[in-house]
Amino acid sequence: MKTIPPTHTEPKSGQQYWRSMDQLQDTPEFRQWLEREFPEGASEFVDPVSRRNFVKIMSASFLLAGVGLTGCRRPEEHILPFSKMPEDYTHGVSQFYASAYPTRGSAIPLVVRAHEGRPVKVEGNSQIPGSKGGTDQFAQASLLNLYDVDRAQRFTKDGAGVDRNVALDALNKLGADMAATKGAGLSFLLERSSSPSRSRLIKAISTKLPQAKWYIYEPVDFYIHRQAASTVFGKSVRPDYQLGAAKRILSLDCDFIGNEQDAYALIHGFTKNRKTKTAHDDMNRLYAVEALYSLTGANADHRMRTAASNVLPIAAKIAVAILSQKSGYSAVVQALEPIASQGKADDKWITECAKDLVAGGKESLILAGYQQPLEVHLMAHVLNAALGAVGTTVNYLPAVEPVKGTIQELAASLNAGDVSTLVILGGNPVYNAPADLGWAAAQAKAGTVIRLGYTEDESFVKKGWHLPLAHYLESWGDARTSDGTLVPVQPLIQPLFGGVTELEVLARIGGQSKTNPYDIVRETFSALDGGDENAWRKFLHDGYLAGSSAKSVTVTLSTGIAAALKGAKVLPAPSQNALEVVFHRSYSLDDGRFANNGWLQETPNPITKVTWDNVIIVSPETAKALGVGRFNENNALGLAGWVSGEKEISQTPSASHGRFDNQVVEVSVNGKTVKGPIWIVPGMADNVVALELGYGRPDAGRIAKSQKDTPAGFNAYVARTSSTLYIAPGAKLTGTTETYPVASTQEHGVMEGRSIIREANLDQYKKQPDFATLMNLHPAPVSPALKEKGVTEAPSLYANPLDAWKDKAVHQWGMAIDLSACVGCTACLVACQSENNVPIVGKDQVRRGREMSWIRMDRYFAGDLLNPQIAFQPMLCQHCEAAPCENVCPVNATAHDEEGLNVMAYNRCVGTRYCSNNCPYKVRRFNYLDYNKRPLNDLVGPHYRTPLTATVNGEWAMSRWWKSPERGWREDEEWELLKLAKNPDVSVRMRGVMEKCSFCVQRIEGAKIAQKVKARDTDNVAVPDGTIKTACQQACPADAIAFGNIKDPNSEVSKWKAMDRDYSVLDFLLTKPRTTYLARIRNQNKAMPDYQEFPGTSQEWLNKHNSFEAHGHEEHAGHDHAEHATTTEETKKGAH
Amino acid sequence: MSDAAAIPANFKVQAPPVELEREVLVNKGRDIGWLSDRVASVIEGKTPWWWWAMMIPSLLLYGAMGAMIVYQISVGVGVWGNSHPVMWGWDIINFVWWIGIGHAGTLISAILFLLRQKWRTSINRASEAMTIFAVMCAGIYPALHVGRIWYDWYLFPIPNSNAIWPQFRSPLMWDVFAVSTYFTVSVLFWFMGLIPDLAVMRDRAKTKLRKFAYGIFSFGWTGSNRHWSNYEKAYLLLAGLSTPLVLSVHSIVSLDFAVSQLPGWHTTIFPPYFVAGAVFSGFGMVLTLLIPLRTLCKLEDIITMRHIDLMCKVILATGSIVGYAYIMELFIAWYSGSPFERYAFLNRISGPYYWGYLWMFLPNVIIPQLFWFKWFRSNLKVIFILSLIVNIGMWFERFVIIVTSLHRDFLPANWGWYSPTWVDILMYLGTFGQFFTLFLLFMRFIPMIAICEVKAITPQADPHHPLGGAKDGGHH
Repeated sequence: MKTIPPTHTEPKSGQQYWRSMDQLQDTPEFRQWLEREFPEGASEFVDPVSRRNFVKIMSASFLLAGVGLTGCRRPEEHILPFSKMPEDYTHGVSQFYASAYPTRGSAIPLVVRAHEGRPVKVEGNSQIPGSKGGTDQFAQASLLNLYDVDRAQRFTKDGAGVDRNVALDALNKLGADMAATKGAGLSFLLERSSSPSRSRLIKAISTKLPQAKWYIYEPVDFYIHRQAASTVFGKSVRPDYQLGAAKRILSLDCDFIGNEQDAYALIHGFTKNRKTKTAHDDMNRLYAVEALYSLTGANADHRMRTAASNVLPIAAKIAVAILSQKSGYSAVVQALEPIASQGKADDKWITECAKDLVAGGKESLILAGYQQPLEVHLMAHVLNAALGAVGTTVNYLPAVEPVKGTIQELAASLNAGDVSTLVILGGNPVYNAPADLGWAAAQAKAGTVIRLGYTEDESFVKKGWHLPLAHYLESWGDARTSDGTLVPVQPLIQPLFGGVTELEVLARIGGQSKTNPYDIVRETFSALDGGDENAWRKFLHDGYLAGSSAKSVTVTLSTGIAAALKGAKVLPAPSQNALEVVFHRSYSLDDGRFANNGWLQETPNPITKVTWDNVIIVSPETAKALGVGRFNENNALGLAGWVSGEKEISQTPSASHGRFDNQVVEVSVNGKTVKGPIWIVPGMADNVVALELGYGRPDAGRIAKSQKDTPAGFNAYVARTSSTLYIAPGAKLTGTTETYPVASTQEHGVMEGRSIIREANLDQYKKQPDFATLMNLHPAPVSPALKEKGVTEAPSLYANPLDAWKDKAVHQWGMAIDLSACVGCTACLVACQSENNVPIVGKDQVRRGREMSWIRMDRYFAGDLLNPQIAFQPMLCQHCEAAPCENVCPVNATAHDEEGLNVMAYNRCVGTRYCSNNCPYKVRRFNYLDYNKRPLNDLVGPHYRTPLTATVNGEWAMSRWWKSPERGWREDEEWELLKLAKNPDVSVRMRGVMEKCSFCVQRIEGAKIAQKVKARDTDNVAVPDGTIKTACQQACPADAIAFGNIKDPNSEVSKWKAMDRDYSVLDFLLTKPRTTYLARIRNQNKAMPDYQEFPGTSQEWLNKHNSFEAHGHEEHAGHDHAEHATTTEETKKGAH
Repeated sequence: MSDAAAIPANFKVQAPPVELEREVLVNKGRDIGWLSDRVASVIEGKTPWWWWAMMIPSLLLYGAMGAMIVYQISVGVGVWGNSHPVMWGWDIINFVWWIGIGHAGTLISAILFLLRQKWRTSINRASEAMTIFAVMCAGIYPALHVGRIWYDWYLFPIPNSNAIWPQFRSPLMWDVFAVSTYFTVSVLFWFMGLIPDLAVMRDRAKTKLRKFAYGIFSFGWTGSNRHWSNYEKAYLLLAGLSTPLVLSVHSIVSLDFAVSQLPGWHTTIFPPYFVAGAVFSGFGMVLTLLIPLRTLCKLEDIITMRHIDLMCKVILATGSIVGYAYIMELFIAWYSGSPFERYAFLNRISGPYYWGYLWMFLPNVIIPQLFWFKWFRSNLKVIFILSLIVNIGMWFERFVIIVTSLHRDFLPANWGWYSPTWVDILMYLGTFGQFFTLFLLFMRFIPMIAICEVKAITPQADPHHPLGGAKDGGHH
């Protein structure tokens, strides 16, 4: 469809513009010029008509008509204008709507970008108070679920498709039938939700059908936070943590940076106090006690690894240490002491940690993880209260009592034959219900089963009804965020497959007069706010209801705490023969709901870097003791280490020939066995086995496969029982002779003493604020003569011609990434993938090192093999000013623009790949096999189908290609959906083309155009700071990325780059990257037993380079050396 | 002539003393007629069984290469083992390897010609053919290894409506010119030298077709003095033109690596070291080809043990240069003090690809040292095996340079691995198919020894030789 730009006629009123002096004077010549078609003399035969002349002119005209004028014809396509133009719609201009991504009992507020009616990108809503618009990887990737080809697309009864209306009428009829028996025999199985509309409907149905029963199940449940808070304070409250106010944080197995509810908001708060602007700033300190190496552990200043079951006694020890200093807790202390005595831990660690927390006082915060037993949570709340933190670092918000029934009760009821109709709203219990329930069999005992599901998956109802669930971007809804703010879940598109929502199903069964989700949500809003239409519109526009956040309530400890704690049962410490299994939520697939989401399948686990699979994680010591796995403890350097006299430990599982073919092991627990590849993670607690949930789904869809017909990963739910939801003792692990190929995106885990990530402890930073630049390698010497002239940087033999543009161009783009703030959550990876149409490549291609992600999250281990530190670094195109990729490209396909961007001309690229070879950061990605056009099945090597012989859907591939070259090999249904997800502003790259981070050039150009429109005839074309946010920056919950115009000294990015922590990676190559990093500061406590004078990576570096001060300056200026030994101020002068 | 008249009647050419006598280049006093018959008989005789035994597998492999090319173009570069970070694999290894082999021919024909090394004559034709075919094998790879083959023409400075030119700063661009120039000049040079011999074949031809075909390509050569005079001048000019190309091609190929800033690639020693290596591997290949050929085609009297001995000495010399370069690389890496450089070389020696380094170092540096001993230089079987080893060693040199440098560079997080796929292997074998197909056709249809030139260096042709014509001051 083409749109014709409107003609610009001269306005009838207002100023008239003249075109020439003649027009102004209105001379006869001008009149004649207007009237005559051609200038005088051109249209007449000046000489008498002769045959010769006539033929001459005619032939010339024919020639011109043939050559040039055919192109002037109007296009023959039919151009249809909108008969009714949608309001506020400009063709080609994206629209943005506020919505929210509902999570279990919370929501992430979003702004969703729609292009021609299709949602193409979700972003965090930065308008909401207290949020800067970060999201998590799940919210980013949820967009792709909308276009999932394996979504449920039909209404079925007993497995056969039925008409939508028939199914919906059946719901109405069910409600009407049930009304007679007051709902007896009717059971609902729900997922957690924060939707006020849903609560309202449940209440309404409960009044109408009081006999109906309500159950709730989440395989990974955060309800315990509310439960514990309510227990401790004797009223229904839930905690709302204010990490931004916390200076001392203790995490008791609480992965608040990764796997906890609302991690994106917690990260935002946590990192607020990590971003030191100068060496005078103070920062928070994080202690973590955990079994797995989690993201929280990776960001902790002190990390104690211990079995998950040991966290309870350790919490008790800490509680005793703290509470015994406070008055009024003697009963609690008394109750805790026996628990504390059952655990084993470094006492000094406990006492010093406790001391620090007490010193932190009301600025301390103790968090307990969802997988820990209730008692740990109780202690955390008591400690926060005792430290005076309530009201500072933790608020308690009133909470609505949720549905109480559990899936265990439902299973019992099903088995007893009490359930005539079971309504399952969302969820996938057949796959993820506790194994002891025998859910599939229990469910079959219900008279009728009605399931509302997003996919026809494991829980597909073969006998009964299955209704397709609408995506949240297709349906109306509402939700509350972590602080209780009401947010709308606004659709952007009609349900693609006619799916229905939970609200509609409930309303129909409940016999509500209004069953349209919009009406339901509107009505709820009216009830909450009074119902003004303007308020409703503002609510939808802003994406939140101002002032709707819950007011915190004052709480007092209930008296029964000591009694509640007394009963705590400590599990025996795990041993080699009785290992402890920890079931944990996946960083990629959540509880399995994202199994068919390619973006998340290919997002590497931040710690293991494994994609497309889950692995059985153990510590090096345990692996050694059990004789499983292969661990290259000796060193990765082999002979090299021996030659150079360095003893280095490769702190990663050893890859054989660069690829991970890991031993398959069997874990027997709860009488069940799961089998999967072993993966050794240094820093895991010994005798603990971690099983990641969410994988091994047989019916998730065609993406969730590691090979044809084999689900990706193994299913850990089969070994999970009601009593051992998160921690299961008494497990056995045995090796097998099989191996299993694992696709990991990072083979080598240590930094080899190179100054890539630069870290210091806060103390060193204070002493040596420019330590990051001092870690530069061999700065080029500056001659003394030049130095006297004030030259600080060695001049180049050849001036970079692009430098001239620095003065001329309006903008110079640059980026800075704060490594102190980056927690490694990988939200940026998914955001980039979504924004820039980055294709997924599948497991086999990842194993071949061909993943396409434009950002890597580099993860390095450092320090002690058993309890190492982890450092993260997002690595993306550095946009070097002297880019090594540019001068080796033989066809000029990668070049620099005037604003300092290293740009790719995809159309020009022939794919020699030399640019990648010469890129020191290796951030360029090559499309080896038409990843956009080939389905995953066709990306399994080394025998790939060629279109010359292959058929797709019974048609010869070449003839398909001839008809429509862009769809490639994908089946039509898949292709039609997939192409809707693409960002129209970014070209979809074909095979044989190199691609890389563009600093989201489409956003830059969009902002520049908008600014030029705004500037009209003024010179004000500089884009104001903060207008452009790259996709990664926007998604970052930690605000660890600054992007903008480095020419403007007041821009955020310029301020960051002016900080003393700023450095460039591989500075010595003089590539002059536009992306620089702020060195990471750790805040270790000197009194702690695991205190390290230098962070692990710095220590490795120091082992090679003596000290921070001496290096790099000794070569070129001996007299500088003395300066560095003196005061900080002088040092700064010397270095700059 | 007046000069002749000045020679006294009793003047007699003395035979040189025995210790100064050079070994003759054509054995057994074979006369000129024998030479023509012998060389021509390879073409005119019945096709020997071994020719078919070689030709059939070669053609099959050649066909396999064609199939692999079609497969690769239709599917993508991903059918090879290239990965990230090792974006170049067997494609560039094989390109550099074949280009290296293509060095001996022009070196023999041009540089040795200018240096008046008469022994070149009996091996130059075959070596030049080898050069051309090797460059043809090499040329396949840069053309095919790119992601979008149909845009290869972007690499040439063709005026276009977008006014985009190639990037003249890129070594790959230089490669395009260097290799195409080298190939063109080599073909011209080879063909120039062929004209008198093709005329010989024309004159001997018994069938019309042969007469016609050789007639066309011999350009009406009559052997007149004027023809010979023009021919010699042109030959000298082309030799002069080719000589710098011998040095430039592999220097420029080496710049593909030296210009980058990858540790292990970024080194100034590359141009001379690559040229030495190329000559080294080129002579290896010449030996590999000629040792069996001289027996099979009964050319032992033309390609004599002296020739083989001399070629062994060239291998010894260039192998030692290469060895020096290897050791110097290590020294410089250590001496630079750069941890990245040091790591790159330690990783070569002892990293996961250490076997590649061993396969490079032993065959290229240690094993050629055996040629210090006369026994090794005179034992054909040993020489044949050593020449194969040299070629394997030089293949591994390229493997070490390309793969081990790329697989572990600056940031350990992106370290990776490379292994070839079946397509890589079959395609490489396929280039042998092409090479041998062309070479077998060459030896069957074109005189594989420069008949005219060999005649000129027979003792009989030397007026100063006792066997030569200028006996007793008389005229020949």
